[in-house]
Amino acid sequence: MSREAPLSVAERDFILKALQENTRLDGREADQFRPLSISFGEEYGHVKLQLGKTSIIVRISAEVTKPRDDRPFDGLFDISIELTAMGSPGWENGRTSDQEASVSHVLDRVVRHSNALDTESLCIVKGVSCWSIRADIHVIDYDGNLTDAACIAVMTGLQHFRRPDAVVRDGHVIVYKVEDRVPVALNITHKPLSVTFNSFNDGRDIIVDATLKEEQAAEGELVIGINSGGEVCFMSKFSGAPLDPLSIVSKVNVALEKVKALNAQVDKVLQVDLAKRAKLGMADESRAANDR
Amino acid sequence: MSTPLILLPGDEVPKDQLPHSKSNNPLKVGPGLRLLSQPSAKPTSSNHVLTATQAGILTTDAKRNNVSILSFSNRRYIPAMNDLVIAQVHHSSVDFFHCIVTPHTAHALLGQLSPQLKQGDLVYARVLSVGVGAGAEVEITCVHPATGKAEPGGMGPLNGGMMFDISTGMATRLLRASSSSADENEGVDGLVVLSELGKKLESIGGFELAVGRNGKVWVDCSNAGENEVKATIAIGQCLQGTDEHNLNPTDQKKLVTRTLKAMKL
Repeated sequence: MSREAPLSVAERDFILKALQENTRLDGREADQFRPLSISFGEEYGHVKLQLGKTSIIVRISAEVTKPRDDRPFDGLFDISIELTAMGSPGWENGRTSDQEASVSHVLDRVVRHSNALDTESLCIVKGVSCWSIRADIHVIDYDGNLTDAACIAVMTGLQHFRRPDAVVRDGHVIVYKVEDRVPVALNITHKPLSVTFNSFNDGRDIIVDATLKEEQAAEGELVIGINSGGEVCFMSKFSGAPLDPLSIVSKVNVALEKVKALNAQVDKVLQVDLAKRAKLGMADESRAANDR
Repeated sequence: MSTPLILLPGDEVPKDQLPHSKSNNPLKVGPGLRLLSQPSAKPTSSNHVLTATQAGILTTDAKRNNVSILSFSNRRYIPAMNDLVIAQVHHSSVDFFHCIVTPHTAHALLGQLSPQLKQGDLVYARVLSVGVGAGAEVEITCVHPATGKAEPGGMGPLNGGMMFDISTGMATRLLRASSSSADENEGVDGLVVLSELGKKLESIGGFELAVGRNGKVWVDCSNAGENEVKATIAIGQCLQGTDEHNLNPTDQKKLVTRTLKAMKL
């Protein structure tokens, strides 16, 4: 019962026919994303992202733990995603679906394994204590392209997050409260994002940022993880109909363009938010001065 | 037109708001209303007490002698008797087609009296019975239960075209708009998007539309020739835009003009 309702024949036929005429249901171009809106919560690393009707909340958190025995110099970084019935009635609580596995695999590869977050900078005392950074992804509403939306949200969260400052004094680790010392930004080495392409009509029509209906009508999926510098850090073509190698090459260029635009947008909202916080922080300080 | 009467659950429907029909037709009570006390020994109509079970605007139709509640837009459709729905065939068994009316919830049954259908086909049908209790099967039909003939109003399989999702509230408004006369539309619901689209698209061959109370609208422009896809998408966008942004008549007209221009129609 708990499965996404299948697409009707009429809808599938129409979507394919419209794509043949280079038209999409919402009037977008083939390589155009839906409107992206990003906002932040009160705390650092709390990101609300909306891509069309797909809506995601990401929360970054940090705690001090012991590093792994085989990597004494590295901190820990985990991304956790759970598709609960809140996002779509088609998802069941507490059961890992294929989609959940594939999204978390892509995120793992694009963000974690590409070393977007420099885990060595999370080390506090070699082999004794380090920071463990955790990204929790909550899907609030689902209308296709979960992978890209989650990827943008996690990367934005990592750039927005500030961990408490920690120092080692006489062999003891002292973690300062956020109020006591200015918290520290994470060390981001590069900003990779994933761009998902869906192919239709024997690979003739390839689109980005598919809605749920388009995803259901698609015959194949191609995920490219790439950073603003044009370095491809992930590419997958797990299933579906074959694609022409040349079109994959051209889609990498499209992905690069998209990632540059998306990163620019993320940078902009981050700057606006940080400027707002700086202003508020200044107001706080002046208030404290008046108290004295 | 009088000001709309808003009822909250538990409110009684004022007597003077009920339609007074001279014919002997019994008053039909639509979804969202409930007859609480039966008429006593003296059978006068004044003994009826109708109470609302949902919040909404009271609507009456004097011609058909019925009264119902125009409720708020639910995200989830709950089948009610005689509702027109667009169902999707899921699988068939010996006696029935099992159809999806709302995604993820219980299937509806469609009698095999209906024409041959295959998985994924769309059917325009009427809700015959909703069953009692949770998880009860809903029965739908596209033939008249008494005569066995196809019902008027385009019941039956929907071939070709495209189905768009709209809110259940919008679906109700569209159905009401289509049952009342054109000049009344503006006054009743402020819904002019359909008549505006009809006027603008007449030249390319017009379009066919089926509205399901379950928040689906099916559009077919197969007369439009090479403009078929564009016209269908334009209609879908206009309906969804009106729905999402709750546009007033002036903005609806603007939306139609803008969308058709963007589609080069």
